[in-house]
Amino acid sequence: MKKISLLQLRANHKGKVVEIQGGMGLQNRLLHMGVFKGKEITKLSHLGLRGPVVIKAGRTILALGHGMAAKIVVETE
Amino acid sequence: MIKKIYLIGNPNVGKSVVFSRLTGVEVISSNYPGTTVEITRGYLKLGGEKVEVVDLPGTYSLEPTSTAEEVAVSLLREYAKDEIVVINIIDATNLERNLFLTLQLIEEGFPLIICLNMCDDAVHRGVHIDVSKLEKILNVPVISTCAVTGLGIKLLIERIKEAVSRSRPKLSHQQRWIEIGKIVEEVQHLEHRHHTLRELLEDASVRPLSGLIIAATVIFTAFKIVRFLGELIINRITDPFFLNLYQPLLEKLIFHWQAKSFWFHLLIGDLINGKIDFKQSLGLLTTAPYIEFAMVLPYLLSFYFILGLLEDIGYLPRLAILLDNLLHRLGVHGYAIIPVLLGFGCNVPGILATRVLESKRERFIASVLISIGIPCVPLQAMIFGLLGKYGGFYVSGVYLVLFSLIVILGLILNHTLSGYSPEFLIEIPPYRFPPLLILIKKLYLRIRSFLIEAVPVVLLGVLFVNILFYFKWLNFITTIFTPLLQGLFGLPKEAIASLVIGFLRKDIAVGMLIPLGLSVRQLFIAVTLLAISFPCVATFVVLWKELGFRALIKATLIMIFVSILVGILLNFVILPK
Repeated sequence: MKKISLLQLRANHKGKVVEIQGGMGLQNRLLHMGVFKGKEITKLSHLGLRGPVVIKAGRTILALGHGMAAKIVVETE
Repeated sequence: MIKKIYLIGNPNVGKSVVFSRLTGVEVISSNYPGTTVEITRGYLKLGGEKVEVVDLPGTYSLEPTSTAEEVAVSLLREYAKDEIVVINIIDATNLERNLFLTLQLIEEGFPLIICLNMCDDAVHRGVHIDVSKLEKILNVPVISTCAVTGLGIKLLIERIKEAVSRSRPKLSHQQRWIEIGKIVEEVQHLEHRHHTLRELLEDASVRPLSGLIIAATVIFTAFKIVRFLGELIINRITDPFFLNLYQPLLEKLIFHWQAKSFWFHLLIGDLINGKIDFKQSLGLLTTAPYIEFAMVLPYLLSFYFILGLLEDIGYLPRLAILLDNLLHRLGVHGYAIIPVLLGFGCNVPGILATRVLESKRERFIASVLISIGIPCVPLQAMIFGLLGKYGGFYVSGVYLVLFSLIVILGLILNHTLSGYSPEFLIEIPPYRFPPLLILIKKLYLRIRSFLIEAVPVVLLGVLFVNILFYFKWLNFITTIFTPLLQGLFGLPKEAIASLVIGFLRKDIAVGMLIPLGLSVRQLFIAVTLLAISFPCVATFVVLWKELGFRALIKATLIMIFVSILVGILLNFVILPK
């Protein structure tokens, strides 16, 4: 198990959220949409060098900006 | 006594469709989060009493993180809890995420009834929910519905009176998600199945390479179909009507009429070679209806039909992801593509839709870019009407100028305006296939509001122009602007009238520019200037309402500066004589 940022997670791989860096604002927004510490998410794609990241959490598909994705730390095999 | 009924739920769960079903008030709904940016109200007859129903903007929780959510939550607390009923609308295909808000609503003690919507879609996707078990666990009424077809709505209305507030211990966020996990485990059964074509497409459209290919195909096809349908309506319906039926009739009626009289001038306008020419006679009964119904309306119909289809399928948020990178450089995030696309129909709803963007700065940038660089359907009808006969070169030239302006202006605004543009965090809806009836309803709503708002302005505009011309009142303005027009833009002084009237409505300018007999080069400059200078008066009002007076002045100064600069550049540098 290693900890990496969501940016480094490869497409089509799963990871468990272990930390969301940044303010409570972002943490809360993500939490309300179902992404929180302990949740398993799948990264679907990453668009372009500084483009957004698309993830799947439960049955929800979310697109988040590059900077936001950098703040999410996941644990993966 | 119930005083109010509130509809609340996550974004894009179909609140507006349920609202329409309950109240009969028609509202525009689409398959992307944030279609409802205004609070809509209507009435429902409940046991002989009329109760107000309020459709709130979508929210993920009772702790707002955006202005739209703030509005929703504050309205909910307007009345005492025993005077209201809250209908919580849940997307059955995504029970888990939706239950977060539901549990919060129950914990807060709101009298609740749950509308488990999109049940048909859930079944298609192999999601089975035990409704009675869910009702038992949550201890509030749960009604499964399919609002698009109206299934279950009657039962929902019947059971509204059963809504009562239940007490439930307040949980921390983490505990709440754990609790939700348990509930979902008990009531939801997922059928195991292979990926369907729909799911494969959903996936492919958010991946870099396949996504771009799909986007290019979709945009190209959409553009082709809009043109094809528009031309079809013109060639088969409106032109035959105007040219073969209306014109002979009108010409018979005016046969004995004195062509120089004031009323003739007003209603019919000028005869061209002794005949009515719908494009340039400029009368209230000739050019005004022809421009609106035979040049603008056909394309508006085809454009809004295709846009509605893309909206309801749920493609637009995917386009937003693909364009995020590019749009970020212009100071807005990818979601700005939605107001921009709406702006192609009419700038007014486009600017209203900038409410989906979070910050004031983004809204300002998006609104300025839309009002300068996005040509609405009437404006495009004018571009094609004036330049179309000279071939695609000049028409695409105008679009190229507009596109370059958006890019350059966006880059400059992003660098000079203080503040920053936040990143986006949006939910990507699943693809859905809207019933034709729903699409036609939405088309009807949009066309109706166009007719109500545009037709009176066009008539007034033509009336105004004719009176000005008849009494030669325009000469004064013409003289003032002659140096600017002739010296800087290379246009004859008479062209000023069309630029001034362009402020009222762009499409009237067609009828005013054709009689001037301009060269292609002059037409190109005039059309481009009409496109980028002031937006029409309706857009102006909406800019003022949405951004405030200071921002309006700022936007106006930018527009004046840009138009003068572009006019000079076109005249002296890009198209020198």
